[in-house]
Amino acid sequence: MATDHTNSPVDSGTDSGGVLSPVFTWMENLSEAAYAYLLLIPGFLLLALVAFYPLLSTLRMSLLADQTRGAEPLGGFVGLENYMNVLTGETRLSRQLIDVALTTEFPFIELGTPFFRQALFVTLAFAILSVIFETAIGFGQAMVLDQEFKGRRWVRVAIIIPWAIPIVIQGMLFFLLFQPTVGFGSGLMQALGIFGDNPLASSSDSFIIVLVADIWKTSAFMALLILAGLQSVDRSLYDVAKVAGATPWQRFKMITLPIVMPALIVAMLFRTMDAMRVYGIIESTAGCSTVPSMTCMVIDGLFGGTRIYGTAAAVAFLTAALIGVFIAVYLAKFRDSDGGFA
Amino acid sequence: MFDSELHERKNSAGVSRRRFVQAAGVAGITTSLAGCTGGSGGSGGVVVSADQVMADASDSIISALREAGLDTDIEVEIVQEDFQTDSRRQTYTSALDAGRASPDLFMMDSGWTIPFIVREQLTNLEEELSSDIIDRVRGDYLSASVATAESPDSGDLYGVPIFPDYPVMHYRKDLVEAAGYNPDGNDWATTPVSWQEFSQIAADARDEGDVEYGFTTQAAAYEGLSCCTFNETMSSFGGAYFGGRDNLFGPVGDRPVTVEEEPVIETLRMMRALMYGSDDPEAADGYQQIAPSSIVQWTEEDARGPFTDGNAAFHRNWPYAISNNVEAFGEDFDVMPLPYGVEESESQYDGLGGSRAALGGWHLTLNPNSQQTEDAIQVLEAWTSNEVMLAIFENVGNLPPIPGVLDGLTEDDVGPIARFIPTLQYVADRAVPRPVTDLWPNQSALVYQEVHDAYTQTKTPTEAMGQLATDLEESDTR
Repeated sequence: MATDHTNSPVDSGTDSGGVLSPVFTWMENLSEAAYAYLLLIPGFLLLALVAFYPLLSTLRMSLLADQTRGAEPLGGFVGLENYMNVLTGETRLSRQLIDVALTTEFPFIELGTPFFRQALFVTLAFAILSVIFETAIGFGQAMVLDQEFKGRRWVRVAIIIPWAIPIVIQGMLFFLLFQPTVGFGSGLMQALGIFGDNPLASSSDSFIIVLVADIWKTSAFMALLILAGLQSVDRSLYDVAKVAGATPWQRFKMITLPIVMPALIVAMLFRTMDAMRVYGIIESTAGCSTVPSMTCMVIDGLFGGTRIYGTAAAVAFLTAALIGVFIAVYLAKFRDSDGGFA
Repeated sequence: MFDSELHERKNSAGVSRRRFVQAAGVAGITTSLAGCTGGSGGSGGVVVSADQVMADASDSIISALREAGLDTDIEVEIVQEDFQTDSRRQTYTSALDAGRASPDLFMMDSGWTIPFIVREQLTNLEEELSSDIIDRVRGDYLSASVATAESPDSGDLYGVPIFPDYPVMHYRKDLVEAAGYNPDGNDWATTPVSWQEFSQIAADARDEGDVEYGFTTQAAAYEGLSCCTFNETMSSFGGAYFGGRDNLFGPVGDRPVTVEEEPVIETLRMMRALMYGSDDPEAADGYQQIAPSSIVQWTEEDARGPFTDGNAAFHRNWPYAISNNVEAFGEDFDVMPLPYGVEESESQYDGLGGSRAALGGWHLTLNPNSQQTEDAIQVLEAWTSNEVMLAIFENVGNLPPIPGVLDGLTEDDVGPIARFIPTLQYVADRAVPRPVTDLWPNQSALVYQEVHDAYTQTKTPTEAMGQLATDLEESDTR
């Protein structure tokens, strides 16, 4: 059959496109730019597929009922019920996303469970505090690295080392540090009166451990990104400022900060996105039961053993939405900062 | 002008747009087809997914399988999965959700086999295994173990227990004897003491032997607390999560939640006394302070460390730890059943009270997507033989699912573990399974969170159990 086809002189001749020939003719006549876009279409489609398919699939799952028994992993369409349940705490998740009640007295809000056991608060507190500290420390490190001094290379290495350590190893370091029979961390912090007897069993103490572990590791990342911004500052601007009698603080505020701002915002954006998804460092130190983040809840729903895929998807989508809100704020800020000099 | 420029470029490139798109299209299709057809090869043998120690003992297990009559044509491969039960469950969940054909047999924890059964993800062995084998499993195996491999709805068998696991009290005989006690004379090996007596003994042994801790156990917020250490202590006081042993595997939503009952609260008060002594207003009277409060962040190995290093007199653990401790202390090491809270006759529920041990253990289950079900069934049947049980006991130290298989074994047969056989057999009959249903993995978290809060003095026992009762009732009826 195939041989018949190829043997036919009409088909194998000039008109090899067959029915596609008008398409090819149209393509031949496209402008250079239009042709470029045409060739990019498959790439864009793939990108859209990779970017949006999981998101839409998660959204679809989050609208279906949980099925803890039976062969079907998901039940029928339940609309926004899973979202309602996640927000009101009526789920099969082991920790709650948010558990507050309104009261008539100041501060008008009452926590149903302790602050550091509500995944939303843990996630927000972690994201905000870690980004603030990492930005401040990272900026400081970047300023140091930006100077010319002897042994600068070694200081750079020292600063970058924590970033190079895998999360699980780092988690293990902090876990052992606060294991009473092994590390000195518990004793030290108790002596200072900051921690209780068993910090890894306490949600608030463990939150601090997780936070410090993350800051220790990720400040270097901020330092690198900010350093890239710092190095694009034209040195002669400082000379001019010095001649004009500007104080170091004024030079920082009027020259360094505005120029570094776009890089800084991009760095903070990346850090915030990462921090909102925090999981690994928690799991490898205190555990998700002690410090529940939103990603912890997703893992709990997906892999916790009781099959609640609908609820897990709802939490996952909420997490994505929350991250989306943060990104929007940053992008607005980035536009205001002119994204460079535009 | 634009046109001529275009033609020029096209000529210089040497490839027409038409050719380029055709070539790219063909290349793309070929590659994707190659992707679809590749990678479906298999090794041909029956693949058993197990843990590292089983995989290490693979040669002796396979030769025992052959001894038990497994056809030499059937290749068996025991592969190593994560030792950690949670990670293993996750791996198996993914494999079964994705419908993968390999491995053919899964080694599943008795704590989470039932969720897979009620999700209809495993093969019903009732129709696959020969009736002799089914009778052997139902008749001779430890029935509490078999119950965790059956469908709670139909009662059909979905897994073959390969070894049960239950804890014993590990202790330093030298320290106890120095404190004036006589373990051999009082037959501690098969005569449990009460928790009150135990706390006194542990305190004396600690003070006399000048070691750091009287007693170490596991009380971190993890499955091991709810399934095991808390569950067995509560059972020894006659308490239960869902009203006695009849309701362990359901019916969900139609069983009482009994965590607010006196025996459960008493268990928490006792543990508070063991950790904090009489300073704690919630501590029960009559107990000595013997355990460090650090147990609230300890799991098995964290708690074993101080004992094996010689810093503790008593230690609650699974039989796996026996070999380490024998190595460390030789004849000075011994085991006994866990202490009891109340006598069995005083318990409100049947089969509770007295010395109780949490029942762990593992089953082999059959992958419904397996391409070689018949061979896998043969492996499974051979695995129920005494030869395999003994090979595993000798080489891995895991207990046989038929406790009687150990009768009459001496140190010459199985090494130093032989002297602990009377205790191991005594405890086997008193092992209580955890209440496994499709909801248990989540309910387990609810349990360990609240129990842990009571242990860490974050909540009083009554507050914690009140909250837990609400949580469990909501979970059962939601």
